[in-house]
Amino acid sequence: MRTSRILVVSLVSFAAVWAQEPAGQSFRGMVRLNRAPVSNEVLKVKLPRPVERQLANGIRLLILESHRAPTISLTISIPSSPLRDPAGMPGVAEATAALMMSGTATRTQRQIAEALADIGATVSFSAGGGGGGGRGGGGSGAGSGTGTISVSALTESFDAALAIMTGVLLHPEFPAGEFDRWKARQRSAIEQARTSPTGLGSEMLMKVLYPNDARQFTRLTGESLNKITRESLVEHYKKYYTPSGSLAGIVGDITAKDAVATLEKALAAWKGSPVDTVALPIAPPITTKKVWLVNRPGSVQTDLVLANRAIDRTNPDYIACLVMNQVLGSGPAARLFRIIREEKGYTYGVSSSFTATRYLQHFSSSMLVRTEVTEPALADLLKEFKEIRDVPVPKEELEGAKRTLVANFALGLENPAAVMARWLQQREFGLPEDYWDSYSEKIAAITADDVARVAKKYVPYDNVQIIAVGDGAKIRELLKKFGPVEEVAPDEK
Amino acid sequence: MKLAILAFALSSLALAQHAPSTLPKVKFTDTKLDNGLRVLISEDHYAPVYAICVAYKAGSKDERPGRTGFAHLFEHMMFKGSENVGMGELDFLIYTNGGSSNGTTDNDRTSYYETLPKNQLDLGLYLEADRMRGLVINQENLENQRQAVKEERRQSYDNQAYGQTSEKLEGLIYDAFPYHHSVIGSMSDLDAASVDDVKQFFKTYYAPNNAVLALVGDLDTQATLAKVKKYFGNIPAQTPPKAVDFTEPPKTGERRAALQDPLARLARIDIAYRFGPSSDADGRALSVAASILAGGGGGFGGRGGGGGGGNISRLYQLLVEDKEVASNVSARADRRQGPGFFHITATLRPGKTPEEAEALISEEIAKLHSAPVTAKELDRSHIALRRAAEARLTALSRAQALADAAAVYNDPERVNSEITAQLAVTAEDIQKAARDQLINANKVVVVTTPAASSGDRPKR
Repeated sequence: MRTSRILVVSLVSFAAVWAQEPAGQSFRGMVRLNRAPVSNEVLKVKLPRPVERQLANGIRLLILESHRAPTISLTISIPSSPLRDPAGMPGVAEATAALMMSGTATRTQRQIAEALADIGATVSFSAGGGGGGGRGGGGSGAGSGTGTISVSALTESFDAALAIMTGVLLHPEFPAGEFDRWKARQRSAIEQARTSPTGLGSEMLMKVLYPNDARQFTRLTGESLNKITRESLVEHYKKYYTPSGSLAGIVGDITAKDAVATLEKALAAWKGSPVDTVALPIAPPITTKKVWLVNRPGSVQTDLVLANRAIDRTNPDYIACLVMNQVLGSGPAARLFRIIREEKGYTYGVSSSFTATRYLQHFSSSMLVRTEVTEPALADLLKEFKEIRDVPVPKEELEGAKRTLVANFALGLENPAAVMARWLQQREFGLPEDYWDSYSEKIAAITADDVARVAKKYVPYDNVQIIAVGDGAKIRELLKKFGPVEEVAPDEK
Repeated sequence: MKLAILAFALSSLALAQHAPSTLPKVKFTDTKLDNGLRVLISEDHYAPVYAICVAYKAGSKDERPGRTGFAHLFEHMMFKGSENVGMGELDFLIYTNGGSSNGTTDNDRTSYYETLPKNQLDLGLYLEADRMRGLVINQENLENQRQAVKEERRQSYDNQAYGQTSEKLEGLIYDAFPYHHSVIGSMSDLDAASVDDVKQFFKTYYAPNNAVLALVGDLDTQATLAKVKKYFGNIPAQTPPKAVDFTEPPKTGERRAALQDPLARLARIDIAYRFGPSSDADGRALSVAASILAGGGGGFGGRGGGGGGGNISRLYQLLVEDKEVASNVSARADRRQGPGFFHITATLRPGKTPEEAEALISEEIAKLHSAPVTAKELDRSHIALRRAAEARLTALSRAQALADAAAVYNDPERVNSEITAQLAVTAEDIQKAARDQLINANKVVVVTTPAASSGDRPKR
């Protein structure tokens, strides 16, 4: 059965929006033979729109019906966030989320877990990223300054799952015994996390770009683990696990009417007053070039992250940045993949991206290269940065990038949760109501001049921050050719 | 990447009323072209997209001594250009037309796949047919993919804590060549691969009669089949490759190894039990047992820690919660075309010994021998299976499952029958499988401990 009820799909001639596709010359890192059959039409896709309802406790609920499978997923954002951790105590929000399910007045941790296992449902509380996930990805999530409550279940047991969640949400006990055991487990987890070269790189990236506040921490540290008490958790919970003004999304096998009725009933007792939003300054890009070496003796590869602060999601340059980055470093058709991986063979994966959330705004590009080619790989990556800043993008390459961004909209329709994420993003950043409807026109309007302009502005070159995680004995000297080097021990807390 | 053979909801059925206990079946047509290509087509009109997956019956099991890692290196060559598609053009065409593409190699098969908007059906078929018909194989292409693959090996194994552990483990589990070595292969073998090797491998294994083509999505079956014939029909068949001999000498006793790992910070213990290819039912029962032991396989219980639903599995409760010996534990049944293995891994807490962990794990294995799992545990594994099956909805996940089931087990219907069979696993089945397979004669243990690094000391 067709489900055109929720999807409006039509074919439009690509030429109607774009200039005629050029004959197809080859460009750097690619040979085009132009023999494969391509439909010049692009599926014009209109994203299904969620219904919005206001709940009595202040929650703005978006509902997106999809009866494809007998499952329902609910996500509620809450003010809890690592960005609200007290100074010198990173990890309070993380610990609160981790221990929400550790017991209530009527159920032990184990009983809660068993009740969920019995119905095959998932309930989770997350503090959201602080400086986490620093390597890019746009949208909400990391750096949004909010935490989330999620409930996911088969339709038949959604009400039961919701009841388990609200039981926890309204009456968490944070039992001292479970808290101590969690702390002990975290000591191992912190050790374990320090073995990952990319983990060390992401951690350093946040320290470099956001040195003065809670954003510098990607997770709990050993030092703060010693300081966090059960009382810190209770205090955080009381202040920030409140519904007022929160956005929530429900996706799946449920009607708008039923969703509202179910949630009004389940969440009736959850009340709270508004919480001030997090106030953190957005600093301009760092002005002087610097290399940060994280020494990891025994490494056979160097993890390289090149970055600087850039733009926020509502900046008028955002769309031009997306197109520019599509040419430069997004996916296997982009320059970095074609040249740094395929032509030069330095790495298994290389990419670049903009992180443009409410509190994190940066451009970054990363790759893992074998230690011996650290120097030429770094030089060639910087050469690509310079190229996109200084040389106009060939027409065909630009058109390809723009077409990529528009045409892959159709693929997103397979996943209702991804559609919902786009609408939550629109609401979160106060983007115009027709934002996604006019998205393809906005992309089509970007010119080669726009690309050059935003590349010069946001792709760092003379002021690039280079983070290198690798064997110091082998790369310390060569890194000095790229800027003044500051060395940091991976054991630093 | 490992095989996941489960059933998936079909939208047209899922739109109807759901009886709580029945899973929707994947409906598909199964056609063999004259050149031997097996074509599986499944319609799903939920979104205006389709997925194409071509699985070749060639994995690391088909390599020869001195050429380990070859099947995977070859996978990379498939993106370097073919008769009518230039270097880098395949990805450009896929992505600029709104699609995505990738490939994956495991022990048993290699597959290539794309998802595209439905109006680009000809494009996907043409690209896959062109690289099945004729690949551009030259020294330059081979050299730069050799580098990319060696980098992949460094990134995924040599530069990772415990990166050497799985290779050591598989080396001890298997004596016969096909599964004795890792999919990624050794650096020296990767260096030895020649252009002639690549050409010969292509001719033998990348023939239509050694492949399965699966198409799932917003398609019309008859029209699609006609196009498949147009693009693939004239690719010549080749002499089929010789069947792989999986015969293993009988195992006669436990095997152990110890590894020093300069990149690890905590000790880890890996315990494995090999089971025979004729024991598919045991493998199935053991995958349910894995879910009951450690929350793996079926996926109930939050494994990510944090604020998830918690993990009430036997090993997690014992090693992580009660005795506080390990920081995490996992279990899974690695099922293959040939003999598979049951694998338990525990990362130890600082100050705890592998001996303590092994003793506790052995106790739990002994319990599986001596007493049936409870009805409650079975119920929970069933509901978790259902949840997981309902969550796999994309055209691509179904195309891959169909192609894998046909390429590895010669049975595409397995996408439906396997989950039914798993739901039918009884406590007696699990006890029998544990008694027959999880025994000391089949056991392999690898203990990985942190080693002081040879590099200089960190300094400020």
